[in-house]
Amino acid sequence: MEIDRVKGKVFEEAPGFPTQYGPDRSDRQPGSPLVPHETYRDLVSIFLLLAMSFFLTAWIVPSLETPRNPAQTPFIVPDWYVLFSYGLLKLAEILPEPDVPGVLGLPAFRLTAGFWGFFLTNIPLVILLALPFIDRGRETRPAKSPLRSAFGISFLFVWMFFASMYSVNNLILEKWPVIADDNVLKAFMFGPPFLSFVAAYVGLRRLGYKPMYWYRVVPLLVAFLITVGHSAFILSTIGGHPEWGWIAGFLGLLTAMTLAPLVAAVYLPEKAALRATLASSAFLALFGVLLWLTFWYYSPGPAFATEIVIVPNMHTVLALPVFSIITGYLGLRRPYSTYEYLLNECYQCGKCHTVCPVTKVEDDALGGLNLVYNSFKKQHDGVPLWTCLACDACSAVCPLEIQYSDYILEERAKIMATPAVDGGEKE
Amino acid sequence: MIPEFGPGRAIPHPILFRLLDSEADDLTVPEIKVEHRSEFAYYPGCIDYYDQEMQFSHMNYGETNHGIIFDSSIKLLRAVGIEPMILDRAFMKCCGHDQLWQGKVDVFRKMRDYNSKIIRMLGVKTLITSCAEGYRTFRLDYKLDGVRVVHVTQILFERGLRIPPTGDAKRVRVAYQDPCRCGRQMPVGAVFEEPRELIKRVDNADLVELKTFRGDAQCCGVAQMMYCNDKTKGLTYSRMDEARDVDADFLLTACPKCLTHFGCLHHENKWRPGEERYKYRVMDVTQFLAERLPGAYPTGGNEDPKRKELPLPGRAGGG
Repeated sequence: MEIDRVKGKVFEEAPGFPTQYGPDRSDRQPGSPLVPHETYRDLVSIFLLLAMSFFLTAWIVPSLETPRNPAQTPFIVPDWYVLFSYGLLKLAEILPEPDVPGVLGLPAFRLTAGFWGFFLTNIPLVILLALPFIDRGRETRPAKSPLRSAFGISFLFVWMFFASMYSVNNLILEKWPVIADDNVLKAFMFGPPFLSFVAAYVGLRRLGYKPMYWYRVVPLLVAFLITVGHSAFILSTIGGHPEWGWIAGFLGLLTAMTLAPLVAAVYLPEKAALRATLASSAFLALFGVLLWLTFWYYSPGPAFATEIVIVPNMHTVLALPVFSIITGYLGLRRPYSTYEYLLNECYQCGKCHTVCPVTKVEDDALGGLNLVYNSFKKQHDGVPLWTCLACDACSAVCPLEIQYSDYILEERAKIMATPAVDGGEKE
Repeated sequence: MIPEFGPGRAIPHPILFRLLDSEADDLTVPEIKVEHRSEFAYYPGCIDYYDQEMQFSHMNYGETNHGIIFDSSIKLLRAVGIEPMILDRAFMKCCGHDQLWQGKVDVFRKMRDYNSKIIRMLGVKTLITSCAEGYRTFRLDYKLDGVRVVHVTQILFERGLRIPPTGDAKRVRVAYQDPCRCGRQMPVGAVFEEPRELIKRVDNADLVELKTFRGDAQCCGVAQMMYCNDKTKGLTYSRMDEARDVDADFLLTACPKCLTHFGCLHHENKWRPGEERYKYRVMDVTQFLAERLPGAYPTGGNEDPKRKELPLPGRAGGG
């Protein structure tokens, strides 16, 4: 009988399948061997890079530039990778500098800006050094731990970027006098990191298939309220401004950009909300930019007068519309497909294959038709998709609880939704 | 017995599914007549289609009786004090399980929306189904907020169904096949214990477990009615062999689809009289319980009075 015929040789001796499992396995596993394949490939890359270096040093010699003029103070700025530390040193002036009394025979000293700069510089370094000891799990995907990942994005990336930017604060203020105030640049180290933290958290939460409604609506609502409140405050304080109407118009436009994602997220179903958010933001942003360029072209004076009111408040009235659009989009976009999100957890333990009833009777499947494994390796040719019984025996034994039937449902739906070659005409 | 040379290898499923798909397109709500309004509703599912299809395809009418699942369920529900409102196929559509799993999501959505509308319209509080696929679909794939979806065995167990003692009747060994749809596929409300507990309440029944059971139970061989071929038969074989190995007198299941395929192979089993591989009977768990409950079936147990004897298995059919 057929079952007896295939019994005992379900996947042994078949290409692509390990015959041993666990850390003590001794046989060669599928894949390209290190020697000679990988070694040759690496050597090619190494020699190519070396050749490029030789070529550059031999033929494109950098000039020595003009000699330094001792009468002129050079523009001092450290290398790019320590710019953040320099920026933090500059920022440290906002922190108190208390005198610490001498205790236990130690001399009294003062917590200076230098100390604070050093202290702040070391925080990210300590976190980076400690991370391997704190995070000992094997889960590395950001969507699995949105809080930690959002913290990483906001603190180690955005915060350090703006700290680096602050190191050249005087140049920025010189170049863009419309910013007008150094405090605006200081606030870059607080506003954007916080906003990026919230946006990243919302986006990662969405990727991880978690409940979303309030996590979308609350940040968007808060952003809208702050924008409205601050716009109203600005307009009330510049009562007699000659360009009051223009300023009110632009602030209104920016407020509308925070309102549109909020309304969409509250009142529309997810798919429609995403479309509405993208369409409304694109329309409002395009309209705003065109209006602004026209304004500048025809009356640069009033345009500058408008800009000088709006730009110093960029952390609310300019940043929050951008935040609303990005958060609205990240919180509404389609998460990874179940295939990408769930199936990627597979580490090919092979249990699913052992229990799969189809592999025991399919002629074509002797060793080759491990549905989950083949799908993971993108090696299935469509046959497993329709041969699968969706009995979920594989999911029942999966140590990572991958619901393979979810993938089957999704893929079958995709295929059935694709028009046939004839355009899907009805017979 | 060699399945390759057995009766017909392919049931004309495309016809049935085109019928169901076209049915989904018509969203007009007909006049709804229910005999007995109740907050308990019973949805029999597609079991009447199965009987028709089995006869139509000249395949395997055999002893398999799907219609009796309906009769048995009503009889058992009455025994626990529930007179359910019957969600008849006259105004309900197919639950859409097969369409969903065949990838026809648009057809499924039409059926889901239509059925959900009717269920809400009738004010159903508890939806009872005797079909494992229906149970999964209504409970997981529909969004019936405020409606409790239960498998019939769950509510019978919950209401404390009692089967009167049979006296000193011969003891029977009963094996139960766990359908995947109401078992391991249900993250909540998996139906594992209830059918077993109900079987144990039959005093002359000894529950025996198959080689694989509960979450590890092997599939009956076919899902979503997509194919019927030697391979699927091979799986059904191995599952039915497990019941033979434990020397069962009855192989019960809670899913009409499992019953269809077990019943089909069971009937093929009689291809050469005297060489039967499976001596046990195959039936739904509700039929097993209802047979042991005194009283008549509400609509006569789906018996065909014209039929004098069982048809022979074969491509030409006998029904």
